[in-house]
Amino acid sequence: MSERPFQPRIIAFCCNWCSYAGADLAGVSRLQMPSNFKVIRVMCSARVAPEWIIKALSSGVDGVMVLGCHIGDCHYISGNHRAAKRFAVLREMLGCVGINPDRLLVDWVSASEGPQFQKIVTNFVERVAVLGPGKAAGEQRAKGTSELNGLTQQAEKRE
Amino acid sequence: MKVSKEVRDIAEEILRQGQVGGVLGLSSEHGHVGPHLFSSTDDLGTLVLEPRYMLAKVCRMILADFPGERLGVVARGCDERALIEMAKLGQVDLSRLDLIGVACSEAQARECACPHPYPRRIDVGEPVQGVAFADTECAQQASEQDLVARQAFWTHAFSRCIKCYGCRNVCPVCICAECSLEDASWVARGKISPEISFHLIRAFHVADKCVGCGACDAACPVDIPLTRLYAQMREKMKEMFGYEIGLDVTNKSPLTTTLEEAPLHGL
Repeated sequence: MSERPFQPRIIAFCCNWCSYAGADLAGVSRLQMPSNFKVIRVMCSARVAPEWIIKALSSGVDGVMVLGCHIGDCHYISGNHRAAKRFAVLREMLGCVGINPDRLLVDWVSASEGPQFQKIVTNFVERVAVLGPGKAAGEQRAKGTSELNGLTQQAEKRE
Repeated sequence: MKVSKEVRDIAEEILRQGQVGGVLGLSSEHGHVGPHLFSSTDDLGTLVLEPRYMLAKVCRMILADFPGERLGVVARGCDERALIEMAKLGQVDLSRLDLIGVACSEAQARECACPHPYPRRIDVGEPVQGVAFADTECAQQASEQDLVARQAFWTHAFSRCIKCYGCRNVCPVCICAECSLEDASWVARGKISPEISFHLIRAFHVADKCVGCGACDAACPVDIPLTRLYAQMREKMKEMFGYEIGLDVTNKSPLTTTLEEAPLHGL
């Protein structure tokens, strides 16, 4: 029997007004999509605190999606504007400390876009599966891969 | 020192005129230097400028304790930027402050890799050119390392952390009464070194506020090069939004405004 390919664990923060309804529509339309994500419903994409994402990534989640209403359609007028900017900055920050920014996705799904939800989720799960397990900093070092150990020694020397 | 003599003279003048109730600066007593509120001209003899110490948080405390009183502050470029950022957050009232602007020397600017080593109004010293981000060691390191190398570097640096909260306590823009870093939901209690979330949460919270004073670096007992991370974030804020931290009190952080007010490239 062949080994089961890596199944990433993914959290999707969906806003109550658009993307959660979109996810619901995808479900009742029986659209096929990977099942390795968990939806957490929030009132607005701007409600998602960077702490949540950082905590998720540092405690073993492989990827995080933040899905909100399309720009211009936010139930709270400009909540998704803030979310868009905040998470763009957070992505940059993850890159700076060596966590692949592609593990965080910010996108927009309206309540009528079941197929769009399916597409986004499918693509993201594939993308994270390619990136591999992502326990941010720590786990990989504990594994003691020779490459990482070498680099740590280099970093020590540089100091 | 000539420079501190000039600062003393200005402080004496504004105190004598009754323009301010006191002047906040650093005082050297028995070989120790600390923040001091000079309320009479007699003790100005102990006023010094070195070593550098961020006065913004002390300034906020004094303004709150003496409502209605004006305060003079000896301020370098970083002190002024910190006060401007604090004013944006509603922590200090700039109209009650009289800044005695001190420009840093070239050596000091280089030591801090400071992009702006002088305040807007300079009373003492000559302004020198700031150090551009591209010329810093931090920029060089960031461009050389790939993701794996960065992760190795920061994992190693963060693994030294003893969670003393020194970086947060000394930071002039870390002013929340309730701190996320003390919330067991985000940072586990009683665990050293803390999870990487400790550092990432702090880095994100100061990403649009860090004035690059270097106080966290100086305070860190295990030499985690925090300003390297924050300087990169400051540069990203500039690239993404054209936002410069601490220069203009009317210029709000793009993270708190709509896309119409501060657009994000590509959206």
